[in-house]
Amino acid sequence: MNAGLLRTRAFRDLVVVVVLVFGVGSIAMLLAHVSPIVGFGALFDGAWGTKGEIAETLVQTTNLLFPALGIAIAFRAGLFNIGAEGQLVMGGFAAGWLGAQFPLPGYLAVPMVLVAGTLAGGAWGAIPGIMRARFKANEVIATLMLNVVAILLTTYLVTGPLQQGGAAGSETGPLPKAAQLTHLFDTQLTWAFVLALVLAFVLRWVLQRTVFGYELRAAGDAPEAAKRAGIDLGRTALIAMTLSGAIAGLGGATIVAGALHRFNTGLSPGYGFIAIAVALVGNLDPLWIIVASVAFGMLQSGGIAMQAEAGVPREVVSLIIGLVIIALAGRRVVASRRST
Amino acid sequence: MNATLAAVLAILGLTLIKATPLIYAALGGVLSERAGVVNIGLEGILIAGAFTSVVVSGATGNPILGALAGVLAGMLLAAILAYVTTRLAVDQIVAGTGLNIAALAAAAFGLVLVYHQPGASHEVPALGRTGETVLVVLAFVAAGVLHLVLTRTPWGLHVRACGEDPSAAESAGIDALKTRFWAVVIGGAITSLGGVYLSLAELDLYSDGMTAGRGFIALAAVIFGRWTPLGATGAALFFGFFAALQFSLQRAGVPSELLQALPYLAALVALAGFAGRVRAPAADGVPYVRS
Repeated sequence: MNAGLLRTRAFRDLVVVVVLVFGVGSIAMLLAHVSPIVGFGALFDGAWGTKGEIAETLVQTTNLLFPALGIAIAFRAGLFNIGAEGQLVMGGFAAGWLGAQFPLPGYLAVPMVLVAGTLAGGAWGAIPGIMRARFKANEVIATLMLNVVAILLTTYLVTGPLQQGGAAGSETGPLPKAAQLTHLFDTQLTWAFVLALVLAFVLRWVLQRTVFGYELRAAGDAPEAAKRAGIDLGRTALIAMTLSGAIAGLGGATIVAGALHRFNTGLSPGYGFIAIAVALVGNLDPLWIIVASVAFGMLQSGGIAMQAEAGVPREVVSLIIGLVIIALAGRRVVASRRST
Repeated sequence: MNATLAAVLAILGLTLIKATPLIYAALGGVLSERAGVVNIGLEGILIAGAFTSVVVSGATGNPILGALAGVLAGMLLAAILAYVTTRLAVDQIVAGTGLNIAALAAAAFGLVLVYHQPGASHEVPALGRTGETVLVVLAFVAAGVLHLVLTRTPWGLHVRACGEDPSAAESAGIDALKTRFWAVVIGGAITSLGGVYLSLAELDLYSDGMTAGRGFIALAAVIFGRWTPLGATGAALFFGFFAALQFSLQRAGVPSELLQALPYLAALVALAGFAGRVRAPAADGVPYVRS
């Protein structure tokens, strides 16, 4: 570790996050009359103690990695996509409904489910993209509103006109075996984890090495200059939002095909919002985001054990995540936003 | 005939009940956005008001003290947001999102600490019928006062100047950071009354998720009401009316999810400019940094 690394923004953020996690976590545990050593011990043990627990941590990592990568793409383009939650839900819905409705044979089933989720999430992300490109509508408010609309719309569809047999409550019917993701190492982990890792590397390459990635970053860093250089800001916004939504939608599809084996409107405990923290902690860089996803995946899976074993309410984890988001809202990349 | 009249009155009464918390939150949102700070954290401030007022009312046995504490909590939360968005010039959207997550979690954690049970508090002394009526009337009074403050007072002019062009405001001798700070904090006080209304007037307890996204509906009302106090109040009444109609319309076969989606769809339509020209304050959402 050299002095240069210690001075980087990413490193300083990491320090802030570690201090927040342990500081706030310890105070909260003391308030709940639990020794922080016992509380954090239960958290780490619950996240990494057994093969099954490690797998669960990596499942949570995967569920956060997809939306976080989507968010990073939009943020890098200077667009505030806080609609990952809705895009993830729409992706999960399309995957679950089509997968249960059209049982395709063998090798076609899984691709169809994943593509359906990607397209649906992309379409949901394209709405604010079009509104932004055509009407200069603020994407923040639009994505925020579309989150709620996604939940309400899918609830309406699966309990109303698109109801399927075998569904109880606000969910679709079960996915056939062929449409389910294969598990790895005899655990809950599926190869969606590998897919997310590969996607992170691909996105890193796209951002750093392609013309599109350059245009996207230029539009985010210096929109005025980008415009003068001939970059179509409206088109870039539309593509970035669609891509961002598509990645979140793919994430929703992997939750459906990998864990639930059907779409349920409660499929996400706020992954799309926690992923904002993940993307920021990861410095909006796909490879750092992998690291951040593992950290937050650990908090998610260990939080359950912390509550069960040490009696610390798992809301402490959400509290810490909220504070991390506030603390990192000052990122230079983020704060450079202008309303142009 | 009498039955019809009674039904209409019942719907109108329910409209007021449903609209009141939305009006408070929307007015808080208007004040803050007119000063140039988009307050995504309205939902969190509602939660802070609702939760704190119940805890203090339960501890002191005095619901008025509870209500005041709820307002203080809302102001404190708004002050955090105001500080980081003005002095530290961090991104307003991201900070507000974090605030919502933190407030919801803190209240859920607080329930376990204070009441040793997750999900909901015990019942506490509430404000009663009189208190509820006062809060409903006060919401409309607040709308009128805020309208006058924004349009007729020097401070209102300063607020609007900071929302349109903070650096021009500063060259005219206005402290833009200070003005924005207090607009957000006072907006937080107004918003938190909506939370107090939900937990201590409409009910007598706090339960997890009781604000149910009203802070986001209020943001929609701000846009639909074109960033004016009276417009936002009208939008809140409109959304409250549909919330009140929900039960009757549901019986008539209209799916409740579509009715619940109405405020959000209305805001999207307004945003896209289909409902006439809608323009946010020019510097809304843009951090101001002194050069």
